[in-house]
Amino acid sequence: MKDANEAKIPFSSNNIRLSAREWIIAVIVCSALLYLGPALWGHLEKFDPSADYRLPYTLGNDYWLYSRYCRWACSKYDTLVVGDSVIWGHYVSEDNTLSHYLNQNAAQDRFANLGVDGFHPGALGGLLRYYGRDISGGNVIIQFNPLWMSSAKHDLQTEKEFHFNHPKLVPQFFPKIPCYKDSFSKRFSAAVERYVPFFSWTSHLRIVYYENMDLPNWTLEHPYENPLSAVTFELPASEDNLQEHISWTEKGIAQEDFQWVEPAQSLQWRFFRRTIDLLKARNNTVFVVVGPFNEHMLKPESYKTYQKMKSEIETWLQQNNIAYSVPQVLPSELYRDASHPLGPGYAMLAKQLFKNQSFKSTILKAGND
Amino acid sequence: MLFHTWPFALFFLVFYPIYLVLKGTRFGLPWLLAASYFFYACFNPLYLILIGYSTLLDYTVVTRMAKSTHRKMWLSVSIINNIGLLGFFKYAGFVTENLNALLSSLNISYSIPEPGFLLPIGISFYIFQSMSYTIDYYRGNMEREKSLIAYAAFVSLFPRLVAGPIERAKNLLPQMHETPRVSVQDVTDGLSLFIVGLFKKVALADYLALYVDNIYAAPGQYQSPALILATFLFCWQIYFDFSGYTDMARGVARMMGLNLMLNFNNPYLATGLGDFWARWHISLSSWFKDYVYIPLGGNRKGTIGTYRNMFITMVISGLWHGAAWTFVIWGAVHALGRFVTRELERTPFYRDKVPKLVKQLLVFAFVTFAWIFFRAESIGDAWLIITRIFSSGWANPYCPVWALILVLIVWLYQFAHESRLRWIFDLAPVRIGLVAGMILYLAVFAPSSEQGFIYLQF
Repeated sequence: MKDANEAKIPFSSNNIRLSAREWIIAVIVCSALLYLGPALWGHLEKFDPSADYRLPYTLGNDYWLYSRYCRWACSKYDTLVVGDSVIWGHYVSEDNTLSHYLNQNAAQDRFANLGVDGFHPGALGGLLRYYGRDISGGNVIIQFNPLWMSSAKHDLQTEKEFHFNHPKLVPQFFPKIPCYKDSFSKRFSAAVERYVPFFSWTSHLRIVYYENMDLPNWTLEHPYENPLSAVTFELPASEDNLQEHISWTEKGIAQEDFQWVEPAQSLQWRFFRRTIDLLKARNNTVFVVVGPFNEHMLKPESYKTYQKMKSEIETWLQQNNIAYSVPQVLPSELYRDASHPLGPGYAMLAKQLFKNQSFKSTILKAGND
Repeated sequence: MLFHTWPFALFFLVFYPIYLVLKGTRFGLPWLLAASYFFYACFNPLYLILIGYSTLLDYTVVTRMAKSTHRKMWLSVSIINNIGLLGFFKYAGFVTENLNALLSSLNISYSIPEPGFLLPIGISFYIFQSMSYTIDYYRGNMEREKSLIAYAAFVSLFPRLVAGPIERAKNLLPQMHETPRVSVQDVTDGLSLFIVGLFKKVALADYLALYVDNIYAAPGQYQSPALILATFLFCWQIYFDFSGYTDMARGVARMMGLNLMLNFNNPYLATGLGDFWARWHISLSSWFKDYVYIPLGGNRKGTIGTYRNMFITMVISGLWHGAAWTFVIWGAVHALGRFVTRELERTPFYRDKVPKLVKQLLVFAFVTFAWIFFRAESIGDAWLIITRIFSSGWANPYCPVWALILVLIVWLYQFAHESRLRWIFDLAPVRIGLVAGMILYLAVFAPSSEQGFIYLQF
């Protein structure tokens, strides 16, 4: 009956019909190209970071490049400084960041800036787990920004959908993030992308050469351009256009009454703890910097709750034998907003860390060893 | 749960190995039925009530027909019920809207409330498929299906459930009862069909939609070049979208050892409108031919009768596509085109002297023009587009050249495929290269968003 049907019903309106052997050849060819593509690209595309390098702001979603930078930084520096825009240096130039001043204090290039804008603990955990696999057996300074616990929204706890930064990096299914409502298909794609470097590489191409668009949308914006000519094999330089050397009070920001989420209930704190576990499991020497949060910006009630929360965080770090520092609050005029220091603030923070016993006995000692 | 999404991939990964084990046992069809109902319920669980009802009714009708002398009455029950379901769910809004317009034009202040229910996805497809079973049985063209499960699995078969092809029971039901194991060739053929369909949908149709949707959303803002190019690209978008869906449906079914009918056969190479309809949505065209055109008298009623029957069939076909006057006009325009090309084809000059390529381009131009009515949001928009195409001046269309190049490559491939150059595409390295090229293109350049299929709305 099948043969009769076969004769009755034409296969298709084209000749594209492969036998099993031909399929095997096609799959081998594709797999080879899909595997070799990203590796080959690493040789073709210029990537030669200077001292104080940080990923360009516009490439914050380029996890493939982050992974490449990680690999490079692990081979050049003994200590990586990871965290969100506070580490990246949101309002300062790259030679005014924490890692720059740490290097200045150390009188040698030991600290690499691996901060990226918007990397809340949920995303940072995913970034290090899937794209920071090279970070193992070294020193890691990881910053915890309490801002991510300053409201249910920052803590990703609202039931209403909230489009937060880097959704591809957070746990897609478990634990459940209440405000994350992307479709199953999108979540599954995000989960697959983490394990197949080819997909993060195609994202890299989009971000770097196609203005963060897929090819179809890019050709709509550039209808008469050849899409292949957009690929220049050159990465954009790190830009400093975000500098604003004025304090939060000069900017006119008022004091706020933050609705802190308790550590026991906080999703972001839970993600941060998991990240520490991950780094330790990869044999890294971990040093945690809590803050420095702009406590001058807190209204009295909020200040009280914050102190309690900070003390609970410290207790947990002590109980788990994790080296840490809760730096003294910087002078008010050295903050740009609730969490970002200005250049002199970073300099002061670096000095504080160099005086910190725990820092000396872990990071500096390990580096000297 | 569409074919080009991850949920479908997961669904199929769970379904398929179990299907392979169970196929040919008494659990094979129940498993297929359960999977098909699950697939349909993923769109909306309430849809199951409707498909269950339709299935049960037609199964019962044919069972009764087998034992009854009132066969015609039972056939009428089936047809009235099926058309009633379709009319209620698909056309109630359209009828209400037109009645209200009529009441308003008669200065009657009363208006009939708009029905608030949804159009179940795929209803037009499975109802036509189910009807063909009762009609074919009535005509004595096939045996009664004794198993309710087999019949339900035939109606709801998930690869073709939501957008066809509209299979005939006499083709599909016997295949579902077969016990041979799925062969390696079934799997590789299925994969070949699937990858072509996936490329058509994701790399081509969804891409072209970006330009077309912009222009057709506000046609008054664009000049002639943009409107012409958008219409040209829509012509290909709908082909890639629908034939891509069908290719994937046939590919999935083929992997299951089932052979679904060819639904598209390079329609834009047609040399006449009759030829076009023999190549476009073949399962629907042949359905209308067998169950509407021929019962009306076909071409046995003289020239006027033939054209009347063609006109009725084409208008109903237009209305089948959607409950709007634009679809009715689209059907009517095609009917008028059929009259003209049929007469032209009877003249020795057109038949023998006009080069094939000219005929193909003429048919393509006509079909493209007719698509304006199909795609436009309203008759007003369609008219606006047509008048602006001929009256507005030049303005840069900002149409992606890359999209035009892709379309041109496919068109040239089709021309070559139906020419003496076909042997080139039979060469294994060429075929392997094309498949690898499509996979790599999809992997690197595919759009990041997922879009539904146009024909799901019908």
